[in-house]
Amino acid sequence: MDIYEKLKILADSAKYDASCSSSGSNRKNKNNGIGNGHVSGICHSWGADGRCISLLKILMTNSCMYDCKYCINRATNSVKRATFTPREIADLTINFYKRNYIEGLFLSSAVIKSPDYTMEMLVQTATILRDEYNFNGYIHCKTIPGCSKELIDKLGTLVDRMSINIELPSNDSLKLLAPQKEKTGILKPMNYISNNIQENKLIKSRFKPKFVPAGQTTQMIIGATPESDLKILKLSEGLYQKLKLKRVYYSAYISVNNDRNLPTLEAPPLLRENRLYQADWLLRFYGFKADELLDETHPNFNHILDPKCDWALRHIDQFPIEINTADYFTLLRIPGIGVISAKKIIRARRTFLLDFEALKKLGVVLKRAKYFITCKGKYFDKVYKFNQNFIETNLVYQEKVDNNRKLNYEQLSLFNNNLNSYSNMTNEKTLLFNKLQPTKEDKVKCLTGNL
Amino acid sequence: MSNWKLINKTYLYDGTFNGLLTIVFDSYSNKILPQKIYTANEYTPNFLDKTEYIETDYEKSQRVFSGIEKNICYEALYNSYNAFLSNEKDKEMYILKYLCNGFDVGPKINNMLTVSYVFKVINMRRRALAECHKLKGLLRFQEIGENLCYAKIHPDNNIIEPLGHHFINRLPSMNFIIHDKNREICFIYNCKEYRIIDSSNLKIPEISEQEKVYQDLWKMFFNTIAIRERKNPRCQMQFMPKKYWKDLVELQ
Repeated sequence: MDIYEKLKILADSAKYDASCSSSGSNRKNKNNGIGNGHVSGICHSWGADGRCISLLKILMTNSCMYDCKYCINRATNSVKRATFTPREIADLTINFYKRNYIEGLFLSSAVIKSPDYTMEMLVQTATILRDEYNFNGYIHCKTIPGCSKELIDKLGTLVDRMSINIELPSNDSLKLLAPQKEKTGILKPMNYISNNIQENKLIKSRFKPKFVPAGQTTQMIIGATPESDLKILKLSEGLYQKLKLKRVYYSAYISVNNDRNLPTLEAPPLLRENRLYQADWLLRFYGFKADELLDETHPNFNHILDPKCDWALRHIDQFPIEINTADYFTLLRIPGIGVISAKKIIRARRTFLLDFEALKKLGVVLKRAKYFITCKGKYFDKVYKFNQNFIETNLVYQEKVDNNRKLNYEQLSLFNNNLNSYSNMTNEKTLLFNKLQPTKEDKVKCLTGNL
Repeated sequence: MSNWKLINKTYLYDGTFNGLLTIVFDSYSNKILPQKIYTANEYTPNFLDKTEYIETDYEKSQRVFSGIEKNICYEALYNSYNAFLSNEKDKEMYILKYLCNGFDVGPKINNMLTVSYVFKVINMRRRALAECHKLKGLLRFQEIGENLCYAKIHPDNNIIEPLGHHFINRLPSMNFIIHDKNREICFIYNCKEYRIIDSSNLKIPEISEQEKVYQDLWKMFFNTIAIRERKNPRCQMQFMPKKYWKDLVELQ
């Protein structure tokens, strides 16, 4: 089998991994070698699905000894199998890297022979790249659950990022769909790597070998099992706080196998995935907690409104917020104001008090924010209109307008919308909810969740 | 800057950053603001304009250069240089006002985001550097000789220099040429030093068989890695605008 065919099979098997980032490592170029790391990461291309391609994402082999029901490479599936040698992978990586096609290598693998044997092959590949070719670009390696600690230690000093996929967010689902895997078998190595990273950070020496400088990530499949959004988000929160993970990826379930334990979905639940990414961003950058966004009475996210809008409408008593006096984390809680806008506002108000005009000049998007703020004590409309119903109807109506504009360019009528009359509000609202699609912004986003 | 004299003159200069800093020196020391500033070879003579060509004075520009860092802040220098790389019309006037006001108020100038020219300068910097970052990913080298690579780009902003530095840091032992087709200039690097030269009569040899093999591998990888069920061309186009597609191997 030639390299072309192998790459085709093994890239095809690797594509279901959501992770694609090349950020977090500032590895320097040493001794005129090849490559360096870029802290913010660089995307080199975007596939037809809108996901960025920054790493050469391949499997080492796809002949697997496990039989996980959701996986395309399960042992009982009849797919073409192929295996790369470490040397082939290294050559391919260097040649792609030199042409600036990629930022580095993302190497994963099915389990062949035994976890330790597979892991050894991964270590061998990374060693060839780092020591022989003097490659200083980005390497992201999967850890194989159940391999020995020595191999993790060895691999950790060679690569920039390591990851183990949780895949199924609860023990029951794991038993049902991946009977050969165990929760502890996944969490134990994660814990081990996390501890090693923390320890490595405490060593002050300049000459220490860095251990996984870009941290650990993981991935969960969304929609294959019946867990609620709340449960998934709680798990992510725990992973961020306890294991200090850099990122949790969510992957909308795509039916590739037929099994009676698997659901048959027509299309992958992309909106749900996007809502989870948005909530994930709220956890990591906006200072929210999982309990605030969802609770037992609302275990799943709203279809129409993003998690932050939804939260703000349920906590309308905390609004409106005065732009000129609120602190950074309060500003971040305003729907429509993100990290960049909040920083700009803080900077700009040191010299002048801000009003709505000034905010527009700064480039702050007021589409959602205007309902939740005051500038120099003034609301954007008459003050008595500041109530939950008015804001919710307007936000939902705005989505309707945007959707119409995109779908069929329908002429808007002055007389059909009941923006200011509250009488038939509930009727109108249910109608809208039934008709509405997710927003334009929700549709063109991929694997991110800035709000 | 409120009591400065607006004079009815259009300044012309040679189009270099040093030339612009010379204008800053003259304006600031005489407390005058010109009507407009143009690059000499882009200017179309106009019946109403009174033009004056400002000769680039290296000494003056160096004084302004070090003065910006000393009296305003490093960020102001960073902003004005990178804003200068952008292709915005009237960028010179915005930078001139920004720097002159900066000498008056000090580092506070960068907080005055509601002042139009400050906002404009910061926006121009953001746009130029954003394009530079995008091209760090979207540039494609092709091997045209032993350890010699060539890439052509069509950027909106004049970002060839920061882009070249990125690749010097990344691939210090590779000879390369980056060719800006829109401006017909070239960034060439020979493992020791770099030059930016005019490239109107540059001839590029045909690509080799070896190069073709890797281009085909990459094209196939690109098509394979996308998940068909998640097809989202709008999302793809948002990140990778079509104006860059003509230089991308995988989208030919």
